[in-house]
Amino acid sequence: MAMNPMEQFEVKPLVPLHIGGYDVSFTNQSLWMCIVVAACSAFLVYAGASRRLVPTRAQSMAEIGYEFVANMIQSAAGEAGLKYFPFIFTIFMFVLLSNFFGLLPGSFTVTSQIAVTFALAAVVVLTVILTGFLRHGLGFLKLFVPKAPIYLLVLLVPIEVISFLTRPISLSVRLFANMLAGHTMLKVFASFVVLLGATAVSRTPWFAPLSIAPLFLIVAITALEILVAFLQAYVFAILTCIYLSEALYLHDHH
Amino acid sequence: MPRGEPEDLRSLGARLDAVRGADARKGGPPPTSLGIAFRFGTELGAAVFVGAGLGWLLDRFLHTSPIFLIVLFCLGAAAGIRNVMRAAGELNAQAASSPATAVTNDDDDEEEK
Repeated sequence: MAMNPMEQFEVKPLVPLHIGGYDVSFTNQSLWMCIVVAACSAFLVYAGASRRLVPTRAQSMAEIGYEFVANMIQSAAGEAGLKYFPFIFTIFMFVLLSNFFGLLPGSFTVTSQIAVTFALAAVVVLTVILTGFLRHGLGFLKLFVPKAPIYLLVLLVPIEVISFLTRPISLSVRLFANMLAGHTMLKVFASFVVLLGATAVSRTPWFAPLSIAPLFLIVAITALEILVAFLQAYVFAILTCIYLSEALYLHDHH
Repeated sequence: MPRGEPEDLRSLGARLDAVRGADARKGGPPPTSLGIAFRFGTELGAAVFVGAGLGWLLDRFLHTSPIFLIVLFCLGAAAGIRNVMRAAGELNAQAASSPATAVTNDDDDEEEK
């Protein structure tokens, strides 16, 4: 019996493809990314189709999502940040739906792969860098020069540069580690049910009913995981907003 | 069916906003304690990792074995602490701007005294 809690994270090729010496197979990972994107697009197109003054249920869900992200951008990055609404809304919806789809039994959690989260974080940081240079030219480099006496700058500038370079890593590791830890925990507790049951049946049959106890814990952890799925999408999006606001206003915004 | 009186709807919206409080829908959910701990951990760890990694790479290319590794490891640790301070500042600003959490914090303080 498969008891390996990490087995759920294995990337398996569904359609093997090799182009120019690179393995570009269509994997279960790619499949679930396509499902997430398709589901998200289908939902938003369907919800946006009926433009009623009094919204339908689907339309009001889409409107809540829109307002939530718009408010988040406005409070974290100001009016100028609203220009980046499509970018941040796309990232938020992709991460949110990937996390939620990962909670379906038998599915694959796209965001539990560091390759995916790091690619997302790299896109975010590259956007921030591009925005900064396009808006401020070389003045963007002032971001790395805090207000301090000149002899301290020798020390502080490298620290600020390293601090900036950690962003893609902390952004991606946080999302990936949360998803990985949560799903591993679910699987481990689920295997307790089987292990306890099997042991009880073979040795002490009157203990067998006790083996469903971890099942109740799984229910509680699943509820926690739903919260974490939403919270991590929110954290990813709000940090994107904060980084963008730094590139937009340099230091004078806060 | 959607041809209601816009004026009515507008005044209803205004009254709803008044009941909810003007910025009830602004700001996200308050972060969980586990989330905060995770955030600080990754901020600190990632900076040390990046600093040490950069130092190791520089040493490899310049053949200056442990110098850059040691220096950049220390700078990375400093950057990590800078990151954590910045993250804590953001969380404080967030808590201060949302009245609900600020009120509960005050209550907690009074109970402890």
